[in-house]
Amino acid sequence: MATVPLHVPLDDPAIAGINRAQALWRTMRKKPLGAFSAALLVVIVLMAIFADVLAPYDPLATQPEIRLSAPSRAHPFGTDDIGRDVLSRIIYGARISLWVGLLAVGIGTAAGMVIGLLCGYCEGRLDLIVQRVMDAIQAIPGLVLALAIVSVLKPNTTNAMLAIAMVIIPGNSRIVRGAVLSAKQNRYVEAAQAMGCRHPRIILTHILPNVTAPILVIASIWLGNAILIEATLSFLGVGTQPPTPSWGLMLSSTGRAFMEQAPWLAVFPGLAISLAVLGFNLFGDTLRDAWDPKLRRSG
Amino acid sequence: MQKYVIRRLLLAVPVLLLSSLIVFGLMRVMPGDALIALMGESGNVGEKELAKLRKDLGLDRPYYQQYLLWCWQMVSLRPGDSIFTNEPIAVSLRKAIPVTLELAALAMIIGLVIAVPVGVLSATRQDKPSDYAGRVVAVAGLSIPDFWLATLVITFSAIWVHWIPPIGYVSFWDSPWRNLQQFLLPAAVLGYRLSAATMRMTRSTVLETLREDYVRTAWAKGLAGRIVVYKHALKNALIPVVTIIGGQLGTLLAGTFVVEQIFALPGMGRLTVEAILYRDYPVVQTNVMLVAATLVTLNLLVDLTYAWLDPRIRYR
Repeated sequence: MATVPLHVPLDDPAIAGINRAQALWRTMRKKPLGAFSAALLVVIVLMAIFADVLAPYDPLATQPEIRLSAPSRAHPFGTDDIGRDVLSRIIYGARISLWVGLLAVGIGTAAGMVIGLLCGYCEGRLDLIVQRVMDAIQAIPGLVLALAIVSVLKPNTTNAMLAIAMVIIPGNSRIVRGAVLSAKQNRYVEAAQAMGCRHPRIILTHILPNVTAPILVIASIWLGNAILIEATLSFLGVGTQPPTPSWGLMLSSTGRAFMEQAPWLAVFPGLAISLAVLGFNLFGDTLRDAWDPKLRRSG
Repeated sequence: MQKYVIRRLLLAVPVLLLSSLIVFGLMRVMPGDALIALMGESGNVGEKELAKLRKDLGLDRPYYQQYLLWCWQMVSLRPGDSIFTNEPIAVSLRKAIPVTLELAALAMIIGLVIAVPVGVLSATRQDKPSDYAGRVVAVAGLSIPDFWLATLVITFSAIWVHWIPPIGYVSFWDSPWRNLQQFLLPAAVLGYRLSAATMRMTRSTVLETLREDYVRTAWAKGLAGRIVVYKHALKNALIPVVTIIGGQLGTLLAGTFVVEQIFALPGMGRLTVEAILYRDYPVVQTNVMLVAATLVTLNLLVDLTYAWLDPRIRYR
């Protein structure tokens, strides 16, 4: 964890003057929900990384003779309509969800950060024009925009990820721009300008460290939303394509069709999505409380 | 104030123009067009007929002409016809808007009925078990996918109480009871999700307001707790909550597709997303622009209200 000085309220002696890792640790000890969310995320991440070892069966292997089997010791989450093990598919599904979430948020955050830094630092005409473009993108409902982008690019996991990143960019750029405008007021930025420091150096060494806290907090909150949007796109048939195991796809393809006959097909993937999103939402709240209490109102 | 209003109005125009360009551009670069989707439905059609259809629909013209024509149609409030169903878009919207508005209004009422009392309770009992319970319920609302909740609600109500909402939309004026039966479950699903964000905001603003001097004065005067919280604190704490609710209305106008689909309600969201899948350009463009214009207007109204309440904003 980085040890960049915190963007903390200086009137709070309890947390002023400590590094980010310590602030996070302190908040998690004070707030049990934060510790719970961290544990939940660790489980999901480990599940995604070690899916090959943890999954009891091949997620694509079909066994028609045991189709729609109820949960049992051999298949704790039951089997689907062509006899695939639901637990194994959920474990592998964690990979898709995390992969899409991390990359979409990574791209969206990086692009939003560059745009926000440039707009906030340069201001003037560039800021005015770029922010109007961001407003225009934000005026289109996120799911409709994502759906249209996926339809343009061809429905698959990578394109769903790019579409989600596009939805994330405008909001992130606004938050970074606001943080840059506020960071620019600091005396040390004025001093750096007076000393003749070049703009890239001022942006990278004096302003960027001040905006990383809100960026990381917003990114963690967006991770949950990105997983939710991917699941919705897959549910609509324009995200991950069969037979790749994806939680949203599992819900739409077999979950709904066999809901009355085999409710476990809808219950377990839905639970997996909800727990993953819950974990990221709670962890995002914890990061916000630890690193950037000023953002509390925006959450 | 007048200058501020004019400046904000002038800024809204390029935003709408840019949104229209994005939507128009996205629809034009999509692989395949509405005619190909239409042919898929109706069987084989020759190249000649296809070219004639393209000409009739104006799809053979250069893009800039198509864009300008569409802009003119939007400004003159004559959005044209659907390529897919041939129905005038105005007629489709007249059918879909009341469905979405009713769903949105009911969802908002249910959301507020849950969110405000739970938010206040959470704030007044900070860090007590009831606060934790309220917060977990709220974060769960943000985390549970609405399509999953809707699927569970519809299936378990069928299995446990042997009841599903009546299929086939009926307007409130034709049969209020049947209409309410159709809308109650989808509105409850959406309302629960909406309540999560509102509840979190209510909790956080009530907590802040409870620490204000005037609230301390109210306590010192010996007023009853209920009066201090509901009459003095909540009134001021609700201003940011109203902003959140304004934003939610925009989301509800097009973000309810999945719930509309699961409960077979012919609203705006369903109309828009089906149009995207069928490449029905005029319908997508009109619907998205309608939602974008509503969102921009709502944001403008919120900003103007803030400027009216806080004079410092006008001079920035």
